Amino acid sequence: MSTILTYDDVVKNLDDLPSLPAVVMELLNSIDQEDVDISVLAKKVSHDQALTAKTLRLANSSLYGLQVKVTTIQQAITYLGFQTTRNLITAAAVTGCFAEGQCPGFDHKAFWRHSIATAACAKVLARQMRFNQDYAFTAGLLHDIGRLVLVSCFPQQYAEAIAHRAAHDCFMLDAERTVLGVDHVDAGLALAEHWNFSDTMRLAIGGHHDPEAPGAGFLAAIIHVADAIVHALDLTQVEDDLVPPVSTVAWTALGLDKAVYLQLFRETELQYEEIQMVLLS
Amino acid sequence: MTASYHQIPLAQVQPGMVLSDELLDVQGNVLLPQGTVLTDAMLALMPRHGIAILPIASTDEVSADEVQATLQHHDQRLAHLFRKNDPDSDSDWATALLRQFVSDFRLGVAEEESPE
Repeated sequence: MSTILTYDDVVKNLDDLPSLPAVVMELLNSIDQEDVDISVLAKKVSHDQALTAKTLRLANSSLYGLQVKVTTIQQAITYLGFQTTRNLITAAAVTGCFAEGQCPGFDHKAFWRHSIATAACAKVLARQMRFNQDYAFTAGLLHDIGRLVLVSCFPQQYAEAIAHRAAHDCFMLDAERTVLGVDHVDAGLALAEHWNFSDTMRLAIGGHHDPEAPGAGFLAAIIHVADAIVHALDLTQVEDDLVPPVSTVAWTALGLDKAVYLQLFRETELQYEEIQMVLLS
Repeated sequence: MTASYHQIPLAQVQPGMVLSDELLDVQGNVLLPQGTVLTDAMLALMPRHGIAILPIASTDEVSADEVQATLQHHDQRLAHLFRKNDPDSDSDWATALLRQFVSDFRLGVAEEESPE
């Protein structure tokens, strides 16, 4: 059997991870700050052509229903606001940052399909709940980022965990705990620390499988339910997908009725199609 | 994502019908996105934009066999996805409820027919 890993092993390996473009790190770190100099940031992002192009395509998608086509980051900020634009830049940067194909059996595309779908669903849920939609979108996108950490740092062991999951038909979370000794929630938290994510984001990543834990926060409940909905809607199109158990506490906290959910399913499907075309093309 | 649709003349379009495609005006500007549920107010504005025919998602007129096959496929898929959930469990009712909602969403059960 492989050696059991600990949280510290994960932390030690974080430095070997690909780093985000410096400007994206700066954006992530400033998520709670109000007094950032927008024009300086816009200029910095504009130096990265690929990032700018992806961000603008997202901004111009029907998701935001802009009447005009934005052609610069500065313009996107004017029309969408700083918060939203920052999230679009983050989404565009993060989805392209991890290398593919180091871990046999890990489907990189499926991972991002799930993350993008969860982001779309969380955004729709947040709007229903009158919660900050941009936080919800980014948290949905990053909620499973710990998986990529484990896959990048311990590809061999993670391949074993994937095989274990297939053999026992259990949840990936349990397979990770059994085979690796750490799960993607731990790894996600370690990365959140390393990348200086805001507390809101950290709580959501840490609590998305256990929104009932004290202090998990409302965003964790939103991400938890969005995650389950996305599995249930089969948006990732993975043969052996499993719907995780939905926390009754989180479900009750959202307190939405059936008509709202049916509408929400439809909206999630439509938004997902559009975002994934931009981010995964 | 809509499987089939019909071009229906404006006069026959009823509120509540769903656009199967995005609706463009003569200049090619998007008036309404795909999937819009049409309302009286929207329909009243159509002549002003020079629209006489709308692409409407078809709800019926697919052969009964096809419908049956699709329903069965969705049903099996959902059973597979929710295979860890016991619908009769008292503690796991939220998962069971989600399953029921998604199932109604997929199988197109009208909201009025819900058992609650």
